[in-house]
Amino acid sequence: MYKVRIVVVCGSGVAMAMHAAYKLREHLEKEKLYVHIDGSGNNELASRIDNYDMIVSNAQVTVKTDKPIFNAIPLITGVGEKDLVDQIIQKVKEIQTAKNSN
Amino acid sequence: MNTSTNAEEINFTIDESLILVHDKAETREEIINKLGKLLFDQGFVKDSYTQAVIDRERTYPTGLQAKVAGVAVPHTDTDHVNHPAIAIATLANPINFHVMGSPEDQVPVEIVIMLAVHDAKLVIPILRKVIFILENDQALLKMKNANSKIEIKKAMLDHIKELKEKEKTK
Repeated sequence: MYKVRIVVVCGSGVAMAMHAAYKLREHLEKEKLYVHIDGSGNNELASRIDNYDMIVSNAQVTVKTDKPIFNAIPLITGVGEKDLVDQIIQKVKEIQTAKNSN
Repeated sequence: MNTSTNAEEINFTIDESLILVHDKAETREEIINKLGKLLFDQGFVKDSYTQAVIDRERTYPTGLQAKVAGVAVPHTDTDHVNHPAIAIATLANPINFHVMGSPEDQVPVEIVIMLAVHDAKLVIPILRKVIFILENDQALLKMKNANSKIEIKKAMLDHIKELKEKEKTK
């Protein structure tokens, strides 16, 4: 099974990304999805982005990428969180299916 | 330094001396300056902290629309901080902050929770509980409607206690 790698990004990586990453990890573990989740500051994203399949960010992503990007804010406010998590779960499954059939 | 109330085993200070009630500040800079001064006067942050928070707010705004209130959580890099603490203000009149992740949007903010973090890894367990207040409608309402510093502090500490108890039963 392919392990989907997700990076959660915020302005400086001091607080918000770690909090959002923690919450997302709990949600995806509940679904028994095979994922790896890191937090990152926006300024480090350019050098790290190649290591990930998906970006969840509460800062505007300035790095050019074709990878799927989700807005992390619902993980922080709880408003719209279920919808966001459902979308991410869907995307994780799509990526796994695509990688496994390769 | 005032460490009379520590919310957690690590020295993360939440104290009345770092709280402003129904403050009449009219701009983002004004309220960030006021809270920064409280933190600086008690030695929690360096003199570079407040300007760094103001600058960072321009690049990475921290306004958030929680269900029951607009909340901003201004903060900055760890180099500007000596000891971890939070300073809280409720505003007499909402001040517009730009929205985290969508800087072109604004949100009227009634509660400002300014974070002074010296080491993200060290304080993240308690910091996460502080941030979780955004999802605690009752605690946010109590804070928003509080008429004293003690009530505001109590709303935060009760919220943290509640979360801890929830974690225990997990």
